[in-house]
This record gives sequence, structure tokens and C-alpha cells, in this order.
Amino acid sequence: MSLVQVLFYIMGFIAVASAIFVAATKSLVRSIFMFFITLFALAGLYVLALADFVAITQVVIYVGGILVLILFAFMLSGKETLNYISQQRKQFMNISKLPALLLAGLFLVVLLNMIFKVDAGNLAWIKRSIENKNVITPNAAMTENIGVNLMTSYLLPFEAISILLLVALVGAAHLSRKEPQS
Amino acid sequence: MNFYLTYFFIAIGLFGFSALFALFGVYAERKVSAFIQDRLGPTETGKYGSLQTFADILKMLQKELITPAAADKLLFMLAPAIIFIAVYLGFAALPWGPGLVPSKLNLGLYYIFAIISIETLGILMAGWGSNNKYSILGAMRSAAQIISYEIPAGFALISVVMIAQTLNLQDIAMQQGILSPEKITFAGFWDVSSIGGIFAWNVFRAPHLLIAFVIYFIASLAESNRAPFDIPEAESELVAGFHTEYTGLRFALVFLAEYSMMFMVSMVGVILFLGAWNTPLPNIGQVQLATWTTGAGWGILWIIIKTLTLVGIQMWIRWTLPRLRVDKLMALCWKILTPLAFACMLVSGIWRLWLM
Repeated sequence: MSLVQVLFYIMGFIAVASAIFVAATKSLVRSIFMFFITLFALAGLYVLALADFVAITQVVIYVGGILVLILFAFMLSGKETLNYISQQRKQFMNISKLPALLLAGLFLVVLLNMIFKVDAGNLAWIKRSIENKNVITPNAAMTENIGVNLMTSYLLPFEAISILLLVALVGAAHLSRKEPQS
Repeated sequence: MNFYLTYFFIAIGLFGFSALFALFGVYAERKVSAFIQDRLGPTETGKYGSLQTFADILKMLQKELITPAAADKLLFMLAPAIIFIAVYLGFAALPWGPGLVPSKLNLGLYYIFAIISIETLGILMAGWGSNNKYSILGAMRSAAQIISYEIPAGFALISVVMIAQTLNLQDIAMQQGILSPEKITFAGFWDVSSIGGIFAWNVFRAPHLLIAFVIYFIASLAESNRAPFDIPEAESELVAGFHTEYTGLRFALVFLAEYSMMFMVSMVGVILFLGAWNTPLPNIGQVQLATWTTGAGWGILWIIIKTLTLVGIQMWIRWTLPRLRVDKLMALCWKILTPLAFACMLVSGIWRLWLM
């Protein structure tokens, strides 16, 4: 096994194990901090897939942004609320969890189907790209590529997302505004 | 296999450097603060008190590691390590001289920006793990401050990247001296590709970057929780903020992280704005000062001198200015620095299109 493969399995194991811990642990705060490790392991997997820009973006947005905001919400809420949440019913199977279980099961079926049916090494478009040398090498600079694609092929989704974010910002500003004194 | 051994040596070397710098930094901080406040500072241990920080660290190593009974033990133990490692990882991408860079990352700058944000998580972990209201207040203030100030800092960095057209820190450094692969102009009109020196630095290549540099410097003070932005550990209100409960080695680690952070943000500022490892001396006709003072050894010397100057200014500011109130702090960030940083980014775009 090459070093890359060893690293892949190590990081895959960390990602899966920490994700299971996140879902199973009783302490909510610990599960958030464990989620940080899951995200980091995922970032490592992205690096192995030569998507280093995605890996770093993952760290910036999820670890530096979303995770910190979740923790913030946590610390602003009182200890009693948190204790109440962690003392909910412990049963693994109950009727209120049925939709979640159904969804997870269906996803598992789809994923397994994918893994067994697709022969990733022999797909036509992959072979064509290798023949045309249309592949990414470990030394390639990806940023320019991403920038050009965002501004040409994917301009419409990009702008749609920016409008969505603008709407969210305006909404947040409106909610936190002081009421005029009448 | 030698290949990997070099990696280990460099990693250990960088750790040793950050530890040594913290020792020196604490001593310098005390002497600078003493000078500013008209005191003497440490005088007893060693000549001029120079061994004082060694004595302090020896004391710290011997101290008992106290874990509060109500603390979340795991988080409490891990937090100082995460705070330090987050900062230490950033050193991997910083270039020290021509050809001297621990890791040649295409995305060096973006990587450092990402790494800095991990420190917040460590601080929140410390605050929550301590189970102490002062710690948690300090941690929350710190997180709010770092998240807010990342925005002006980020846009100041983007305005440099737009001029440099690369995120690779070594390439950005290369562009600011006589080794530059492309034409450099002083303020957009005077070709200084072969003159180099101080005229080729980014702040003079495009003068609006001077404003971007000041924005970045202010934001970097806030990101390393230094006065006047030290509300996370405001002694008069919060005992010691997020590290109230820490003792001994763990406390030392938090301090090591703070001083490494000071060095790292200053070094990033130097690399992006103040010519990185390039010499400040220009070539004047036959007197080839820039050519003589460019090289690996000189590079390390210049970058350390420049970085230590910035660290010195950080200390000077800390002991001169009073602490900002929370609302003033946020007003400064959102109402002054962020619009200015946006303006800098806009000017950068125009500059790159029409003047370069």
C-alpha cells in the first residue's frame, strides 16, 4: 500500500468514527467539538482527491464559521435547556425517529447500489479525459480554474446564491433593528 | 526517506523557534512596558533581568496541573493544545527567504487564513471546558471579535492578492524585489524591476495598499486578542478571561500560542505588504546594494528584522492605548474598517486593470 492509500484509510476511519461519536454521544457540546474532527478528516480526504481549494474552504466556512456560530448559540442558551435536551428519551427505535431512519436507510441503499454497480476505473468519460490529458496534476494551480468557471459556466447559480445571501443579510438586519419610538 | 527526515527537522525547528520567540517576546514585552510606564521591569535575574522568563518557565513547568472539579475534563485538557497547534500549523506556509519555505503551497495565504480561524474554536473550548462564567464570557467575546475582524482582514488580504494575482506566499514575496519574474512599477509609473529595494514593496507598488496594510494591522491586533482589543481577557472585568482556570504547563501553552500568533500575523503582514524577505536597499547605479543583500541568509535576516519591528509596534500599541468598549469595537470594525477594506479591494481591481 502506498502512503496515499494509508493516509486515505486513516482519515476515512477518523471521519467515520468521529461521525458515529457525534451522533451517539450524550454530551451535546462534546459532539460539536467532535464534529470539528469529522470536518477536518473530510478536509484531509479532499486534499487527497487533489481538491485542496475545497479542503481549505471547508475549514474556513465550516470550522471557522458555522461551528463557531453553533457553539455561540449554545453558550448563549442556559444550562437548564441543554440538560433538558440531553435527557430526552434514550430508545434507539421509536415512532418519532421513523422518518429519519427511513431516509437514512434509503440513502444507504442508493449508496451501496452506486458502489457495486459503477466500475469507477472504466467509466467512458474518465478514460476519455485521461487520453486527452484533461486531468489535474498535484502541482496544478486550481484557483484560476475555479475562478474562470464560476464567472463563465456557473455564473447563474453563483449569482442566485449571492442574492440568497443578500436576502438573508437584509432579513437579519431587519430583525435586529431597533423599533422606532412612537 | 531522507525526504521525510527533513520534514521532521523543519517541524521541530519551527517549534523551537516559536518557543524561543515566546521567551524573548515575554521579556521584551516586560521591558517595553516598563520603559513606556517609566519603570525598570525585571532587573534581578541575570544581566538586566534577561533570565527572568527562563526562571518563569521553569516555575511554570513545576506547577501542579489543577483541573476544576466541575470542568469538562477532556475539553479542558485539549483546549490549550488546540489553541497552540492551530497557530503552529500556520508557520508551515510562511516563506523565510528565496527558496526557503517549509511547504510550497499554491494556496498558502488562504491556508493561513483558515488556520487562524481554528484558534477561535480552541478558545471557545477552553471557555466552555473551564465551566466558569468569566471564562465563558471571555471566550464568547473573543469569538465575536475574531469573527468580526476576519472580514476587514480578509478584504485587505484580497486587495493584495488582486495585485499579486497569486495566493502562493513565496510568489507574492518574489514579486516585491529584484528577483521578480514580472515588471514592477513604483506607484504605477516608474519601472523599478532592476532597482528593487524599498520601492518594489507592495505598499509602494500600489499606494492604496498602505491603507489596506493599516486595516490588516488593526484587524490582526484584534485576531491575536492584544490590547486595545483585549476584552476577551480584560483583567479588570473578567479576572483573566478564557484562561482563568489554567495553571502550569497549560497556561504556558496558551501564552506560547499568543506570542506565536503575534509573530505569525506580523510575518504575514510583512510578506504581503512590506516586501517579505526582500532588502529595503535599492540598486543605485553602480552601487548594487539590492543585488548584494539578496540571498537566503539575507532573506532570513530581513524578514526577522521587519517582523520584529511590527511585533515591537504591537507591544507599543498595547501599552499606550486603553481598551475599547465592546460596542465601540464593533462600530470600528463594521462601520470604518469594513467599508474601507471594500474600497481598497475596488481600487485594487482598477489598478490591476489600468495601471499594471
